[in-house]
Amino acid sequence: MSASEYPKGDPRAPIPVITPGHSFTSITDKLSDMVLTYNTPLAWVITTAIGFCLLMLLIVALAYLVFTGIGIWGNNAPVGWAFDIINFVWWIGIGHAGTLISAILLLFKQDWRTSINRFAEAMTLFAVACALIFPLFHTGRPWLAWYWLLPYPNTMALWPNFRSPLLWDVFAVGTYGSVSAIFWFTGLIPDLATFRDRAVHPVAKRIYGVLSLGWRGSARHWWRYETAYLLLAGLSTPLVLSVHTVVSFDFAVSVLPGWHATIFPPYFVAGAIFAGFAMVLTLAIPLRALYRLHDVITLRHIENMAKVTLVTGLIVVYGYACEAFFGWYSGSEYERFMLKNRIYYGPYAWSYWALLLCNFVVPQILWIKKFRHNLAIVFTVCMFVNVGMWLERFVIIVTSLHRDFLPSSWDMYYPTFWDFATLAGTIGLFLTLMFVFVRVLPMISIFEVRTLLPEAHPKPQHEEGAHR
Amino acid sequence: MATHSNDHLDEAVLMARPEAEIGRLGSRSLVLGGAGVLLALVGFFVSRETFLQSYLVGYIFWLSITLGSLGILMIHHLTGGAWGMVGRRIWEAGTKTLPLMVILFLPIAFNLEGLYAWARPEAAHDPVVQLKVAYLNAPFFYVRAVLFFVIWGGLIYVLNRWSREQDEEPARLIGPKDRRFRLLSGPGLCLLVITVTFMSVDWVMSLDPHFYSTIFGVLMLGGQGLATMAFTILVLSALVRFDPMARVAKPDVFHDLGKLMFAFVMLWAYFNVSQLLIIWSANLPEEIPFYLERLNGPWRWVSTILLLLQFVLPFLFLLSRDLKRNPSAVRWVATVILVMRVVDLVWTIGPVFRHEGSGLHWLDFALVLAIGALWLPLFWRSLAGRPLVPARDPYFKEAMAHVGH
Amino acid sequence: MSHHAAATGPAIHGLMAEFDSAQALLDAATAAQKAGYTRVDAYSPFPIHGLAEAIGFRERLIPKFVFVAGATGGTLAFSFQYWVSAIDYPLNIGGRPYFSWVSFIPVSFELTILFAAFTAVISMLALNGLPQPYHPVFNNPAFARASQDRFFFVIEATDPRFDLDETRAFLNGLNPREVVAVED
Repeated sequence: MSASEYPKGDPRAPIPVITPGHSFTSITDKLSDMVLTYNTPLAWVITTAIGFCLLMLLIVALAYLVFTGIGIWGNNAPVGWAFDIINFVWWIGIGHAGTLISAILLLFKQDWRTSINRFAEAMTLFAVACALIFPLFHTGRPWLAWYWLLPYPNTMALWPNFRSPLLWDVFAVGTYGSVSAIFWFTGLIPDLATFRDRAVHPVAKRIYGVLSLGWRGSARHWWRYETAYLLLAGLSTPLVLSVHTVVSFDFAVSVLPGWHATIFPPYFVAGAIFAGFAMVLTLAIPLRALYRLHDVITLRHIENMAKVTLVTGLIVVYGYACEAFFGWYSGSEYERFMLKNRIYYGPYAWSYWALLLCNFVVPQILWIKKFRHNLAIVFTVCMFVNVGMWLERFVIIVTSLHRDFLPSSWDMYYPTFWDFATLAGTIGLFLTLMFVFVRVLPMISIFEVRTLLPEAHPKPQHEEGAHR
Repeated sequence: MATHSNDHLDEAVLMARPEAEIGRLGSRSLVLGGAGVLLALVGFFVSRETFLQSYLVGYIFWLSITLGSLGILMIHHLTGGAWGMVGRRIWEAGTKTLPLMVILFLPIAFNLEGLYAWARPEAAHDPVVQLKVAYLNAPFFYVRAVLFFVIWGGLIYVLNRWSREQDEEPARLIGPKDRRFRLLSGPGLCLLVITVTFMSVDWVMSLDPHFYSTIFGVLMLGGQGLATMAFTILVLSALVRFDPMARVAKPDVFHDLGKLMFAFVMLWAYFNVSQLLIIWSANLPEEIPFYLERLNGPWRWVSTILLLLQFVLPFLFLLSRDLKRNPSAVRWVATVILVMRVVDLVWTIGPVFRHEGSGLHWLDFALVLAIGALWLPLFWRSLAGRPLVPARDPYFKEAMAHVGH
Repeated sequence: MSHHAAATGPAIHGLMAEFDSAQALLDAATAAQKAGYTRVDAYSPFPIHGLAEAIGFRERLIPKFVFVAGATGGTLAFSFQYWVSAIDYPLNIGGRPYFSWVSFIPVSFELTILFAAFTAVISMLALNGLPQPYHPVFNNPAFARASQDRFFFVIEATDPRFDLDETRAFLNGLNPREVVAVED
């Protein structure tokens, strides 16, 4: 076949998505032995221990909050939304890449998705779990929260307000969490069957057996499975976009300068994908080293993810630019004041410039291919992005609120120890869940990696006949 | 016996130039265009004012295909794929209409006062406009317009020249030179997005100098993408009837293009709902008149038509896999979408001027046809002047290898 | 082996042939279809393009269910919000109309997706008969590799053309690693 070719040994030739020389057996062994073994890597133990300690901190912080009240946080008037919403939006944003990688790359037939989609999806679920903690506990009495969040009439026969974006958020995040969970579980079923058939310990065998639902890989199973999975992908893609859109509505449908901008929905969505891909890379690079996954997470994956990070980062910067230009162009006194206060004479102007450094300046080095292939550089850029996206929410929330319409209400916002403790605690929750997941479930989709091998694509007989 | 080898991708056949067939397609579009020119002439003498508004609609409509072609061409250079190889010549021919668009801009440039409220002398007494006068003034407007055309023209010239060089060289392995399309397209797309954003502010949004919406540039970009995808599918469904397109534009390719059009339909709805929801909920006096005008009175029906024909109908239709793969079916959706692109532009531009009476004016469509009578011959001629398939692109065979049937 | 032995022995689910490659499995399925077998199944550790067609299986139910469920979810959500906000307890909120259709879009969209997505998974599981605690194919210990690196083809005993000897000979002709009679 005279397909397009690179000259031999050309460094520009694309790196394969899976290192050649593997078979179905070697892939199955490699990817399931990471879990079905009694050897736990020391690095795993250390990271999980750190995560677990932070998780304990979270529990203490939340217990103290419930017994004392929201006053332990730094929230005040006018900055009534502060760390809680910053962290909520940050986590939800991180939770975007998982389902999106899985869904949209499947629709675009990108075969490099198979090595990263599973743990990215898990990341989504854990990030959503972390995110939910914040609005839930910000209600003060979370055991009463369902009362005004779910569509159920209260004692006065009054329904929740469907014109409020906060209620839309309940539906959006609820749908996102549950659909992501079934998407993830559906993807896991065939691999759980592999574990069922390989596990040695009888208890593990039984657990994996129950979870795999009796999957036996019949051609009928696969046909329906692939149909359903593709449909889920098609449904999840707009769903992912809608979730951060609704989160952006929390701000944008208000009349507050700095929040009320029609660019918010696409700009928030791009920011979420940006943050999500950065977090996937942040996790993938160490995990790849820890479990020696170089054959299935190749430089091709790293490079492609770095490219997506760069592109979405540029869209986010486009959002900043539009906000700034239209803030001036509006001619509105309040918009222009907000802009100046945010960018140069406000007390929080430093955060805006730090944000531009993290999200605009630093990621630009990903334009250069050599740097996209350098793991240390990619990892560093992603850490900048993780911080930058947190700062972005800080800028949006705190700098827009701290200067009220009424100058007598102006105030500064200072986070307390408990604000930081809750944030660190959710990072601990995330790390713990993530590492437990890596230890007990296949973090790379085994059955999909099998399909990357050329022998997974047999030719139908009639066509083969035509060749002879 | 049908063989499954690559014989059907024989270079000599693919590089053929079916000038006669394309000429026939071109003359068919001339008939419609001719009618449009006549009607436009009548309109010019009936109502100078409406003529100018409709002229802007027609101009922005065709410009959106010129620029949309440039954008999608650059996206194709960055991502590769069979759909782009098949559509590439259509987009290249689309971009080559830019010189015409420069000339056609002159009537707008010389009639600023007729179109833009900020350019009229009364604007000196409008406090809101006075706050924006640093941006909304005629000299700066002209400077920006020149800058837009220079940037677009530069990108179009270079990309087309490189592409022609590729056709003239014999087929070969992928070499260092082939990266240049990609290297230019990344920054090129950034420039295009920025210029189109400001173009949308200058030429459309500032018609009402009080209104502002941060998503306006994104709406324009999405509209350009949608119009270009619909136009591509329409042209391709005509070209697929003869060689060489019959060999490469397989149902798989239509499926991919159909999916992209579907994506743009959804994006269009998404951007519009975002803008509507935010402005409607906040109900601010600076912004809400935009929707009060369009959701009430004569424009209400235009809004409803847009919702049904620009979103609901194409959405339901394009959900079906079989319909996306059928050129003669999907081209009807593409036609509806293109007509709705015109209606959408009228919906955006018209209410600034027409508060009473019916929303849509027959002149809007007449001028779209009339400008098409100039745009389309140029397009068809450029299309016939080059091989229809970029068979000498070193990435071509790799891209086409995955196309089934 | 004779019919006699089959009649007195334990009931048989079918004959199972084990293959090394996806190609061999696909060829076996095609050959069985040509030989007129209709009650067959093919097992593989990953989806194989064209295998469902080769065992004569084609079903387009799930997309239809999903479409109906999505439409139901969206309609239900929209009308529920209308009923709550305009009929059951009309309340003036910020001067917005009772029927604030613009505000009802997000929730209607989310419920469309929610209903459709759950229907996709539930109907996939239901049509596949999952969860299923017992299935005869697992009686063959070698079948554990069906989820790893081996490929299995089963001609079921209920097939009208099934004959223990003839079918075994047919399967042996396809170059399997092994042919095993699986107990029911």
